[in-house]
Parts: sequence; structure tokens; C-alpha cells
Amino acid sequence: MQSARRRLSCSTLPGPDIRKIIAGVLLILLVLFGQQLYGRVTAAGRLNPALHGATGPRNVIVVLDFIPDRFHNERVAEYGVFAGRDGALNRIRLRNVSPDSLGRLAGVAWVARIEPLP
Amino acid sequence: MNMAKASERSSARRTLDQVAWRLLPLLPFAMVLAAWIAYWTIARPPPATLPSVQDVAAALWELAAKGELATHVAASLWRLLLGVLLGAITGVIGGIIVGLNRSVSEFISPLVVFFNAISGIVWLPLVIGWLGIGTALAVFLIWNTVFFIVFQNTVLGVQLVPQVYEQGVQALGGGRRETIRTVILPGALPYILTGLRSGLGFGWRALIAAELVGATNGLGQMIFGATEYHRSDIIIGGCLIIGVIAIAMDRWLLLPIEQRTIERWGLVFDARKEE
Amino acid sequence: MSATVARSTPSRLPDHRKGLAAGRPLRDLKILLPFVVLVAAWWAIYLSVDFSPQVLVSPLAVWRAFVHLISHGVMAEYASTSLRMIGFAALLSLLVGVPLGFAVGINHYAAHALEGFLRFLQGISGIAWLPLAIIWFGFTHTTTLVIVIYTLIVPIIFNTMIGVRAIPEAYTLALRSLGASRLRLVKDVYLPGALPSIVVGLRLGMGYGWRALIAAEMLVRKGGLGDLIFGARTFGQIDRIITGMIVIGCLYVVVDRLIIQPIENLTIARWGVLRQ
Repeated sequence: MQSARRRLSCSTLPGPDIRKIIAGVLLILLVLFGQQLYGRVTAAGRLNPALHGATGPRNVIVVLDFIPDRFHNERVAEYGVFAGRDGALNRIRLRNVSPDSLGRLAGVAWVARIEPLP
Repeated sequence: MNMAKASERSSARRTLDQVAWRLLPLLPFAMVLAAWIAYWTIARPPPATLPSVQDVAAALWELAAKGELATHVAASLWRLLLGVLLGAITGVIGGIIVGLNRSVSEFISPLVVFFNAISGIVWLPLVIGWLGIGTALAVFLIWNTVFFIVFQNTVLGVQLVPQVYEQGVQALGGGRRETIRTVILPGALPYILTGLRSGLGFGWRALIAAELVGATNGLGQMIFGATEYHRSDIIIGGCLIIGVIAIAMDRWLLLPIEQRTIERWGLVFDARKEE
Repeated sequence: MSATVARSTPSRLPDHRKGLAAGRPLRDLKILLPFVVLVAAWWAIYLSVDFSPQVLVSPLAVWRAFVHLISHGVMAEYASTSLRMIGFAALLSLLVGVPLGFAVGINHYAAHALEGFLRFLQGISGIAWLPLAIIWFGFTHTTTLVIVIYTLIVPIIFNTMIGVRAIPEAYTLALRSLGASRLRLVKDVYLPGALPSIVVGLRLGMGYGWRALIAAEMLVRKGGLGDLIFGARTFGQIDRIITGMIVIGCLYVVVDRLIIQPIENLTIARWGVLRQ
């Protein structure tokens, strides 16, 4: 009688072990890709309208909400040619940013916005 | 007469097989040694990349002659001894106290799991600010490692001692301490020893890691210090010594203790197997 | 790491059945309570003793550091580096170690020959080989990867070997007498039979490997959580160090308890019969 009851309850839901594995994998995926995903989803809001649909390399100002560490300077410099600051420490000039790099830079979660360099 | 000769031959063959069986574990070492010598003779790599066997032996000999090797080994083993003793004693005492109390052990369990996850080297950046570099740091990291493993296993061992034995002693008029001494401790001993053996393995690693960055002597410092001067011969020699000590500890320290104590209290352990 | 759990329930063991009636959310929250108490105690101690910020900081400071590191994208990248490294190393170690373990385990002589050698290698530990790896590969990710793979692969080979050797010969003989090919034998007898042991080896390897990874990252300083907490030490940022420690612990607990341990339970439940 008891075994029948147990068999019934086991067949309707995945067991506790499977549930744990799913939860664990989801958590790890969240750590690995969560921020990246968030950045991509909010990418449009970051890019200045003047830069939308760029076809050739552009010169931009990458604006951050904070004073960048060496870490951030290094990451930003991967998207173009580092050309100094734009007045404040949190405004970084980048030259020769390809449209592809521009798209990817817009997807970086900790970048506040990207403005065109006049 | 032929029969006698035949049986002589087969018993000789048997002893030969036995000897071969005994020597077989040495084969991989011999093969690695041979490959090392062969590669070195053929490719002549720079001594920083791969020193020759003689270089390593010479480096070790030099260190031993200067007494430095003994200093390093002694420093490392001393730290290990302190850390393991402290960790084992606190782990067993804590484990018994908590293991006997179900609600406490249930409450503490998540904390123990978490702190076990960060045991050892992860504490280094924090503790190096409290204790500086040296023996205190290494002993803390080893204590940390050993404590949580031994604690966990002791709690488990205590919890698994069948209540019926405890009740038996109490029915005969034994007090709390008597129960612990005669029933709980022997009953939990297999698990405690498993914890000790595991803790020693992790603790040895934590020691080497701690000495890599946080010591002025010891085997870990010896091999990391040699990196700066590209003394691969010292590094390889040091690694071999580390391996030998690890095996020696496991084989001649822990295994005999385990065997002798489990044999003595074998009754308790076997009864559990039958469950 | 810990001994196996007996199947009977002496009364001192926590009764897991109790929680089911109250519902899962309640039981999940119960796990957090000890940590809440710990943080409260930490805060109390911090407030009562005048610690220099070099020695201890408040839980609030740690929280702020955590938010800072996340919003600046630093935590995500460093944590990802470590996770990718351990994941890749685990995958490679399994792909290479399990077949090797099989090959060795099937042959009595090979197994006997290699057992001592593998123990020796395990005794040296990947961490001890770090200095040599640094000389060979420099301060690069290759160094870290090599060390972590070494640390993972030895227990995996060892435990696979043990798992294969523990399979009663009766099973292999039975199938072989029915005309099964080598491949079939591997698939239907060796693999399931050794699987519980392999997962135990993986679990042990991950325990060693995660620590070796953190230690390697501390020395190589090319990213990862070890680099994060060691670098924070250079600047005396205790809040970051503690944040990093908590993240390191949480990630390991997630991987070990939510992924590997359930896999271990599943393999033992399904194929553990062979061991008894």
C-alpha cells in the first residue's frame, strides 16, 4: 500500500535530486551569463541615437557611472583605440570603433552610455 | 623424482610471481625515470626547463648537506603537527558535543558545510593581515581545514551510533561521561578516523599552499623561492620529497591506526554493516 | 570527504521527513537561519570591539563591496573565469581520466602497478607543481589550467580504476559467455558499475581542484576569484576579501551540493546495487 503511494508521488514530479541539479545548473548559468544577458537586453538604451545603425567605424565617448579601475580601462580599450579622457575620468574616448564592436560595447552592462565624439 | 622437481619448479615460479607482484608498483616510477633520462639525453633541454636526474639529486644532496633541507622539512612537519592536532582535538570534542544534540546539529549543519567549502587557502588573504606570514598563518589554515572535516565526520559518527547501545549502558547505571567513553567514542571512531585521514590530505595541501606565499621557510617556500632563480632542480626535488612524505604519512601513520582501532572495536562497526 | 550514510534512522539523526509536511519553502528558509544568526553575531562583535578596518569590517561594508563589484562588472567576470576554468578542467579530466581509468582498471597487473604511483602523484598535489608550471608556462591561464587538470585527473583515474576493479567478475563473465562484444561490455557492465565510483572521484577531485584553482589564481594573478581576494589584500580591502570568500564558498556549495552530490545520489541509487 505504502509502496504504491510512493510510486505515484515519484512519477508526477522530477525527484529532489533532479530538481537540485536543475537549480544548480541555472544558478551557475546565471553567474556565467546573467550580467551579459542583462547588458544585451538593455543595449539599445545605452547607445546614443546618433550612433544607431552606424555603417563605418566611429569615434565615441564611453561614459561610466563611476571612476574606472584599470580593469575597466583595459576592457573598454578592447573595443577601439584608446584616445584619452573627455574632461572627466569617467568619460573615455575611443577612436575607430567598428559597428560590430559598437554593438558589443553597447551590450556591456556596466557602461552607462555611449556618446558620439564630436 | 620428476614430480618433486616439477613441484620445486612451480614453487620457485610462485615465489618469482610473488616477487614480481611486489615489485610491480615500482614499475611506473622506473618508467618515468627512464623517460626522463631518455628525454634529457636526447633533447638536452635547458636546466631551467628540465634538469637532469643528477641535477635534482645533486640539488637535494646539497640542501641536505647544508642542513637546509632538514630545516624546511622540520618546519613544514611542525606546522602540520600543530594544525592537525588542534584541528583533530577541537573537531572531535566539538563534534561529540554537537552530535549528541539533534537540534543544535541541525542548526549548525549549513554553517559547517559553508565553512568547509572555504576552508584552508581561501582564508589566507584575510588572516595574513591578522597573523602576518609564518607558522601562525600556516597553523591557522591547517587547523581550519582539519577542524571542519573532522567535526563533520564526528557529528555523523556520533549520530549513527545506535541508541540501543547507549540505553544499554545507561540501564546498567552508567553516567553521561561513561556512555561517551564506552559507547559513543568507539562507535564514532571509524568516522572520526575517516575524517582525520581526509583532513590530513586537505591539510597537507593547505600547508604547501600557505607556505608558497606566506612563509619564510618550509617545503612550500623552498620550492616557490626557487622559482625566482629558475632552479627547477630544487623544485622537482622538493616536489618528490613532498610526495614521499605524503605517502609515508598515509601508509605508516594513518593506515596502521585505522586498522588497529577498527579491529579492536570491530564489533561496533560490523554490527552497523549488518544493518 | 564524509563517510557514507547508513540507511537506518537512529533517533539522533535529523529527520528529513518532518520538513516535507511543512512545505519546501519553509525548509529552504530554515537553511538561511544559521547564517542570519552568524551575521548578527559578526555585527555585534564588530560594534562592540574597536577594530581597525585592516582587521575586520562590518557586514554592511561587505554588502556594499559586493554591490560595488557586481555593478562594476568585476564580480561577474572574475567569478566566470574561475567557473569556466574548473568546468573546462573537469570536462577534460573526465574525458581523459575515465577511459584511462578503465584501461588500467580492467587489467589486474596495470591496476596494481599504478595504484602506488597514483597515490604518490596525489600526495604531491597540484599546488606543489605550481612553481614548475610557472617556470614552464609563465604567469598565464595555461599554468592554472594545467595545475587544475592535474589535480582533478588523478583522483578520477584512481577512483575509476577502483570502480572497475570492484565489479564482480561474474557479471563480465556472464555477458561475455553470451557473446557480448568488448564495447557492449563497457557500456552495460563497466560503465554503470564504475559510475558511482567515478562520481565519487569527481567529487573528491573538485574539492581538491577548486582549492588548487584558488591557490593558482592567487599566484598567477590573471583573473579569477583567487586573484580577486589576493589582489584586494594588496590594497587592504578587507570588505572585498570577505565578499570574495563568501562568493567562493557559495559557488563551491552550489556546484558540490546542488550538482555533483545529486548526481552521486542518482548513480548510487540506480547502479549502486552492484556494490552491495
